[in-house]
Amino acid sequence: MSFVWRKRWFLLLLPLLLAVTLWQIRVESDLNAFFTHTDDADAKLLSGLLQSGELSRRYLLVVEKSAAHAEDAPGLAAFSGKLIQQLAQLDQVEQVWPAHQPPRDWLNASQFYAPYHARIFSLNPEQDAAALFDQEALPRRAEGLKQALLSPQGGFIKTIAKQDPLLLSLNGFKTLQAQFQQPGDAGALILQSRPPALDSAAHERLQAAIRARFDDLNQAAGQAFSLSMAGVPVFSVATRDEISRDVALVSTASSLCVVLVFLLLFRSFAALHWLLLLQGGAFVVGILATQLIFQQVHSLTLALGASLIGICVDYPIHIMAHSAKHRTSPLANARLLWPSLLMGGLTTVIGYAAMGFSGFPGFEQIAVFALFSIAASLGLTRWLLPALLDRTALHIADLPGIAGWVAFCGRRRTLLLSLIGFAAVLAVFSLPQLRWMDDMQKLTINMDAIKQQDATVRAHFSSIEPGRFVLIRADDFETALQRAEAAERRLQALRRAGIVGSYHGLFPWLSSQALQAENARVYDAALTTQFQDAWLSALNHAGLSTDKLGQLTPAGTAGLAPEAVLETPVRHVLSGQLLAGQQGAALALWLGDHDPAKLAAGLQGLAGTRYFSQRDQLNKLAGQYRDRSLQMLAIGIAVMGFLIWLQTHSLKNTLLTLLPSLAAALFIFASWALLGEELSFVHVIGLLLSISLCVDYGIFFIENRGRDSNVTYHAIAASTLTTLASFGALGLGKTPTLPILAMSVSLGVTLGFLLCPLLIPKTGPA
Amino acid sequence: MKPRLGALLWLGMVTAVFADDGKLSEVLARLRQSGQASFQYRETRQLELASSPWQAQGVMLTDAAGTLVKLQLQPSRVIMAISGDSLYYWDAAQNQRHSMPISYADDAAAQILIFRSILQGRTQELQAGYDLAADIQDRHWSLHMQPKSGQAGENAPSIDISGDANPDKRQILIRQADGETTEYRIEKAAEQQSAAYTIPQLLQEAGGE
Repeated sequence: MSFVWRKRWFLLLLPLLLAVTLWQIRVESDLNAFFTHTDDADAKLLSGLLQSGELSRRYLLVVEKSAAHAEDAPGLAAFSGKLIQQLAQLDQVEQVWPAHQPPRDWLNASQFYAPYHARIFSLNPEQDAAALFDQEALPRRAEGLKQALLSPQGGFIKTIAKQDPLLLSLNGFKTLQAQFQQPGDAGALILQSRPPALDSAAHERLQAAIRARFDDLNQAAGQAFSLSMAGVPVFSVATRDEISRDVALVSTASSLCVVLVFLLLFRSFAALHWLLLLQGGAFVVGILATQLIFQQVHSLTLALGASLIGICVDYPIHIMAHSAKHRTSPLANARLLWPSLLMGGLTTVIGYAAMGFSGFPGFEQIAVFALFSIAASLGLTRWLLPALLDRTALHIADLPGIAGWVAFCGRRRTLLLSLIGFAAVLAVFSLPQLRWMDDMQKLTINMDAIKQQDATVRAHFSSIEPGRFVLIRADDFETALQRAEAAERRLQALRRAGIVGSYHGLFPWLSSQALQAENARVYDAALTTQFQDAWLSALNHAGLSTDKLGQLTPAGTAGLAPEAVLETPVRHVLSGQLLAGQQGAALALWLGDHDPAKLAAGLQGLAGTRYFSQRDQLNKLAGQYRDRSLQMLAIGIAVMGFLIWLQTHSLKNTLLTLLPSLAAALFIFASWALLGEELSFVHVIGLLLSISLCVDYGIFFIENRGRDSNVTYHAIAASTLTTLASFGALGLGKTPTLPILAMSVSLGVTLGFLLCPLLIPKTGPA
Repeated sequence: MKPRLGALLWLGMVTAVFADDGKLSEVLARLRQSGQASFQYRETRQLELASSPWQAQGVMLTDAAGTLVKLQLQPSRVIMAISGDSLYYWDAAQNQRHSMPISYADDAAAQILIFRSILQGRTQELQAGYDLAADIQDRHWSLHMQPKSGQAGENAPSIDISGDANPDKRQILIRQADGETTEYRIEKAAEQQSAAYTIPQLLQEAGGE
């Protein structure tokens, strides 16, 4: 195809491709998809909890009255009541209630248990029987029943008492109140939202709506109140804001730096605009492919993808540098350099592929994005660039020091190689001092201000933590319930010992058939004629109807089925504790303040039961990612070496090609070891990337297809500068992974670039 | 229908309506009251689950802000109160203390709200949820309140209030949808009895402060 038609087709297809991409693209900002989505069972559990766990979707709101307005303003309780009414009207709000009052439908749900009172009255029926069936206490219980019937809760009690005169079914619920805060803090509210916790776009709108409703009421109340919010969704929105800022900043800075470097080198706006169109095309292909494969593109992929500009631009730059220096056509240089370009692109793709296989879910997307962007960039460079630059005059500025460094390396090679060798030995010895990061929190955005606010707000609530719980697993639901009951008995003991402050169990909302049978046995045994007579006497004494309350029927055989329970509003109460999407059954017992080590030790010996901490789980994941990334580093290097050997059929050239990048990686690892830098899988991935880039330099330098080392090294210098410009821009990001990648890649490519003329002997005329 | 007969019927209906409206206004005027007041009461409750009527007595205090405190003195000391949007309950003998938003309380608690409307003559509140029918016979008057279908809750009680020439005495019969009844006989408390209790002090006791 002629150059003219190539250009025309490109200019026609690019807008079309752009339009299709814009039509298809769905940008995802859910951090969970980027950080924790893996095949590991625990990671899936963690991911599910973060996605839709009931407690993760919960906002803690605190309304406070400012001292300045304390006199004239309406009462805090009245204001909070109005706010509850307002917030309940929002579409994205499932339920909102005062922290010290469980939602009314939760309380009413306990009426459902009355017919099953004989089967669910205690977690420890044998132990509690003496107190619960004490005949001496029956007059007091009958009197208590009468007073309860006369109280404001009379209607509620009456419904239960008709089926359960001893009110045994309420026994297990006595602890429910303890899960709520004692009356007094009228401004503490709990809001259950509908969207998953990490759907930050939906939560941003919801938070704005909450604030708007509050502001309206507060204005009417003379600005006497303030509102604070906490909860996982608050973090998710703040994180999204930070990431959005990072994406915008990094993309802009990266593109600008590359443009500036290019203009500095080639001083041609004509060449620049063709180059940008070409890179734009490669970028759009990468995005579209990612979208089609993953059904969404993460915003962090876009941020890290922006750095690819600096890599993809290398391929045209090599051709343009050679064309400018030798005054030869871009087409001739594209043909001449194509084998080196292809191999360089391939090794870079291998670097990204290895990064994708590190297990870190976000990197899978980036690897795919890189694969398609690099392939597109290579193809466009080979077949389109000569057409685009057909009539463009190219000049390249001499970079100061480049020729001098090549000459110096040539003159002092022996001395410098000795020094490098000595330094390499020292570096190897320093490697055992490497420190590995064991807290994945250090890789997340620093949000101290929000954490502080979160702690302040949580101080107003009972301290059930969303991130740490007792995890129960079993093959079937009945076994899981039995294990949960055993764990609750253990937790009761641990609470008495002061190791755990409070916990959210499943009993009496759900009881195993085994526990129900045990309760029924104890109940039937206690239901003697003597006991029944004593109850009738107590009812008579209290003035209560013996006809309607005197019949204490045996337990019977019909048990309470979990399925029946979950058809009532109880499913809302328990939705944060029945963990979905698991093989078999998984249940969670949520914990308040506790001593993790003692609690974990206290649960020892319970089958299928363990302490689960989201934070520990994340750290475990980080450890897995690190180990995988080290494996991938080794595998990536091996595959790159193999490909180079396939092309060169020379072990010496293969080693020489790899040497600068490997030496750079070694020295960087050693520097980190000596400086005490804590290393994460992101550091390793960064070095892996830098190796895959530096290998390109080795390939270009050793093949030296222009037969002019100075020109080749100039071209390598130009591509190093663009890589530094684009990856350096990542350093502006606040998400810690971005500066780490910036540092690793920048150090790696700089050292690799400098070591090329030193470690690789010149192969062409200078 | 003959035109004369039609006119007579129409006239009769109009007269009856106006006559009823007149009685209702008069009865409602008797109920209306503002400011602070104290009553002593005798309460008789017929509970579905009780073998015999349950009786109690005590005092009720109201103020202009809409607070109502019902202090049961016999057979045991129990305070039930509404103040602002909150309901308080304190049974010293059973050591049972509750406080909750009125909207959170169940149907049984609605009784005390109606009571407040009756004692304080909040006729608009009553008319919002009830169809009112008044009757005056000699010195006796009565007001029958039937829950409006669809507006009052499904368990809303019907209420009969009656009295005689003595403006300080009233009889209130509350009949729940499930058949339970509560009868109050109230009369203005003597000054000496009124002075013995104050709303803030009783609210404090109910709230456990």
